[in-house]
Amino acid sequence: MLIVTNVSKSYGKLSVLENIDIEFSNGVYGLLAPNGAGKTTLIKMLTTLLFPNEGEILYNGTNIFHMGDGYRDILGYLPQEFGYYKNYSARQFLNYLAALKGLERNLAKVRINELLELVGLANVADKKMKKYSGGMVQRVGIAQAMLNDPKILILDEPTAGLDPKERVRFRNLLAELSRDKIVILSTHIVSDIESIANEIIMIKDKKVLYKDSINSICKTLEGMVYETSIDYAQANRFRNHYFSLSEKQEGDKMKIRFISENKLDDSWESVSPNIEDVFLYVYKDEVIKEG
Amino acid sequence: MDIRIKEFKKIVTSPIIIGLLVLFIVYNSIFIFQNSYFREELRVLTRLVDRFGYEIDDEMLEKYRLYYEEQLVSLNKITKEKTSKNYNSMAEFFADYKYGLEDIYDREELGLIMELGIMEAYYNTIEEIDEVYSSLDIMERAESEINKFQLIDKAAETVRNQYKAFSERFQQLVNNKEHKNLFFLGKVYRLHSILFKSLFKIIIFEIIILVVLITAYIVNYEFDNKTEAITYTTKRGRDLILDKLYVSIFSSLVVTTIILLVTLALYFIIFDYSGLWKVPISSYFNTDHNFPYLSWWKMSFVQFLFFTIGLVYSITLLFNGIIFIIARAIKNTYFAFFVFAIIFGLFLILPRLAPNSSNTIFIGAFTPYFLILNPHVWFMEGGAFATFKYHEIVTLVIWALMIWVLSILSIKRFKRQDI
Repeated sequence: MLIVTNVSKSYGKLSVLENIDIEFSNGVYGLLAPNGAGKTTLIKMLTTLLFPNEGEILYNGTNIFHMGDGYRDILGYLPQEFGYYKNYSARQFLNYLAALKGLERNLAKVRINELLELVGLANVADKKMKKYSGGMVQRVGIAQAMLNDPKILILDEPTAGLDPKERVRFRNLLAELSRDKIVILSTHIVSDIESIANEIIMIKDKKVLYKDSINSICKTLEGMVYETSIDYAQANRFRNHYFSLSEKQEGDKMKIRFISENKLDDSWESVSPNIEDVFLYVYKDEVIKEG
Repeated sequence: MDIRIKEFKKIVTSPIIIGLLVLFIVYNSIFIFQNSYFREELRVLTRLVDRFGYEIDDEMLEKYRLYYEEQLVSLNKITKEKTSKNYNSMAEFFADYKYGLEDIYDREELGLIMELGIMEAYYNTIEEIDEVYSSLDIMERAESEINKFQLIDKAAETVRNQYKAFSERFQQLVNNKEHKNLFFLGKVYRLHSILFKSLFKIIIFEIIILVVLITAYIVNYEFDNKTEAITYTTKRGRDLILDKLYVSIFSSLVVTTIILLVTLALYFIIFDYSGLWKVPISSYFNTDHNFPYLSWWKMSFVQFLFFTIGLVYSITLLFNGIIFIIARAIKNTYFAFFVFAIIFGLFLILPRLAPNSSNTIFIGAFTPYFLILNPHVWFMEGGAFATFKYHEIVTLVIWALMIWVLSILSIKRFKRQDI
């Protein structure tokens, strides 16, 4: 079990995370927050790249920074900005990382072949990576994270650059893997995790806002999400009164999904909130800022 | 081991490093060939040393004189036949012929003329040795150095003290007759300058450029390619920096060996030193400017060469350490290179700002940056700032210790640093 206890991190005077407490056991965890909320900082601490200013991170009761290579040996990590060596082939690159991960040479050879097959790169394994598309590079990234068959798999924005088909394939792969692993998946794309995450962690204002199942988190908006059709002319006035979650054209009307604490009009249809609704509502200030 | 081999492969597959290595070797070869126009003349001495040995004593000098006179008689037979003239010396002969020798004498005769001319030059030099050394005043040299750099008070006193210590060595050198050994005529061929002042300085700068590039390149490879997040979270983790340090040291020694081996092999193929390897480096013949090269210890040419090579390797390691510390702190290869160049410049300029009355002015001389500027006077009397008996050794030890400590601190810091 991986436990984050009272962890804070700041860069100089800029505080990024404060008093974070999270427990991870086997399963998929979706770390959901807009860019700049501290997801990558938390992940970098879990991967020992950053040191917390306060608090500690324990794996099975031992501080991960004291465990050293014992901890890194069970860690697989795909960073948000996945760098690679352009003149290496995928096989050479994985071979290099296998050496760093302490895999015995013959074992590494077998494992690399398995993973190249798994991520669908077996037929281009010996081509230089500079010839790869963004999606192919990302698949190499996923393969390298799984080289050492990690007990803790941390993936920061893993679906960036993948096409819809690859995303589905990747999600299925993760669901398969997560049975005996802690999988932490950071994203700001809700659809990446809503079908596979056992729990969602949301960070807001430097703190953990939610760490719960999707259902439980969605319940926080129970009875507050509605859909209705309005004239385009009314759209601006409507948005000023209610927080719009999504909008789409339906004939000459606009179908709008929005938040309201009470049902004020009979034409409004109450709908079940989904995790995207929660995300948009929770981070409405950030979303507006980003927009 | 596997990791280090893979790190080493990064270096040998770098086109910049391999390209520069080839370029430097080509440049050195051109430099040697450009200076090789007199190589045939050098063979005259090789033949003389074969016949008489290189140690100059009365017996050798008598044999030398007789042989020279024999040869002069042979030449006079030819000149008598062709021009009806006789000569008492080659100086007299050459005074007659500024131009047009080729019109009168054939190839073989010209060979004899050249050989005799060179023989006479060596003979005349032998004759002047005692006079030159009896007028050499080491303390006068000290005063001239003091004046040259306008040193006063304690700084001047330090130079005097060093030269006083060197005077004893000079006496020993004269008593040992180290100066009385045949060697290539320095004032004509300047081979000591060509080899140790120019070629070794070129070699050292080339090695430094490559060492800086290799070390900065390998230390920052992950940061330059944005793979640091992957590599430093693997089992090997931040200990990878140690592998990088070892690989950079190994690679630096490899490029040093390649450059030295190829360049020196070519040099000694072009310039034949056979029979002269054991001649003391302080031989008067080695003088290529106004003052002879005088070593602190009795050492032969080959010993001096090997000590110089040893010092080049040591300096390579020092610069390897310096750039490791810089590159570790600055996570960008080209910026690290730039910072290294600035530091290099500062180490050469700052000591000059020290007061000329204080001993602090000598601190600047005890740096590898200063050391590499004067490889031709390593282990020798080397002017106001380098005439300390253990100048090279003290510099090496102090800097090796400093760099060792700073490297350990740098590695420790890296292991506790946010990436």
